[in-house]
Amino acid sequence: MKIFLSTMLLASASFASAQQFMTRSGQVHFFSETAMENIEAENAQMSGLLDASNGGFAFQVQMRAFHFEKALMEEHFNENYVESEKYPKATFQGSIQDWDDAWKDGESHDVVATGSFDFHGVKKERDIAGTLTWNGKGWDIETRFPVALEDHKIEVPAVVKDNIAPVIDVDVNATLDPR
Amino acid sequence: MKVRASFARTAALGLALAAFGTVSAQGLLDALNEAVEDPTLPVTATFKDTRIVNVQSNETPAEGVLHFVIAHRFGTLNSGAYELWGLDNAQMRMAFDYGVTDRLAVGVARNTYQKTYEASIKARLLRQSTGPDAFPVSVTWYSVAMANGLKAPTDVTPYYFTHRLSYVNQAVIARKMSEDLSLALVPSFVHRNYVQTTEDAHDLWLVGVGGRYKLTQRLSINGEYHHYLTQQFEEGFSPSLSLGVDIETGGHVFQLHVTNARGMFERSFLAEPAGSWADGSLYFGFNLSRVFTIKS
Repeated sequence: MKIFLSTMLLASASFASAQQFMTRSGQVHFFSETAMENIEAENAQMSGLLDASNGGFAFQVQMRAFHFEKALMEEHFNENYVESEKYPKATFQGSIQDWDDAWKDGESHDVVATGSFDFHGVKKERDIAGTLTWNGKGWDIETRFPVALEDHKIEVPAVVKDNIAPVIDVDVNATLDPR
Repeated sequence: MKVRASFARTAALGLALAAFGTVSAQGLLDALNEAVEDPTLPVTATFKDTRIVNVQSNETPAEGVLHFVIAHRFGTLNSGAYELWGLDNAQMRMAFDYGVTDRLAVGVARNTYQKTYEASIKARLLRQSTGPDAFPVSVTWYSVAMANGLKAPTDVTPYYFTHRLSYVNQAVIARKMSEDLSLALVPSFVHRNYVQTTEDAHDLWLVGVGGRYKLTQRLSINGEYHHYLTQQFEEGFSPSLSLGVDIETGGHVFQLHVTNARGMFERSFLAEPAGSWADGSLYFGFNLSRVFTIKS
């Protein structure tokens, strides 16, 4: 029985690791466009895991790793809007709908990722559409999705209402290599 | 045995699949958190502005940022209705500080009080940080040279340019205790080339404490007090004590305060605060700062 259990553990462990793909340097970019001003920020440190056995995934970004054109914007973003000290990370975890590991044909496949998007301490169930491409070694992912500030309890004071879009567009690009 | 092993593998596969099917996402996030180490990050916004009230905070303008400050101190609050409790009698300070790098700033300023000019340099020596290589405090150095621009007094001969000069060196040791509370310990050394009487010391040592407490995201109360380590003052002399609020609106920070210091440059508010909290000879005033990104 001991042998049985340890074999089982080993088998499941090696099985899991062989099927996982990971990144530590995913690109996240967001853009707020209003008549008054455009605000954008870049983050090149998104980390993520994809389990190719079933399409399960988890992604996370450090809010502090978003960089803005102006230092004051970055300070306000962290201090007043996303409250990075209280909520240091945003995460998205779930699974890719109708996952098919046989998509390793070098073509781009439109997929929908369903999961829980946790940002500013507020969790939202989201279906996020994107593309998935096998690059011969791992997976390239690409998506663009909107985030409504109100949905995540991010308050914009009246004086800057015209400067910050109520819905922010977020672009994500990442390459996940075998772990 | 062979049969058993292959049974085990199948069972493991089945179990693993079942497990991934139900708790995979949370498991993956935990696995991700284990694999990715949290970075060491400097603590930001210990104070909202480069000053607590009068004294420097640990903050400097970011690289390429010009920080412009207009500050006023009105006359004493106990000066009566004729002076509109001090509002008729304003002193002004205009200052430009520029962030050469994220850790080094240079500044110039002009005060109407004693027509004083200032040139300063401010450097972040150490930064408080969180993460694997956390550091508990920020240490910022500030040095300023001040030149009195008043007409030469007729009763002092000779009166050289060096008579007009005074210097302050200080270290701002600050810590953001929590998201709301930040504290600073500020040892200062003041040197005055010329003093009014032989009783007055040329060199003064002080230690100041300052802090801010955030009431809301954009509003905080601030205070500072400077204790004299050098004994040289007459009885009844009131050390520098200031209380105020910071209000932040987009690119501006408004600091409104009450202080017993008449001047807004270091020699004046550290060594020669004219008013007293005991008799109400206090000055209401404000600092209004605005940043301009010159180089991004």
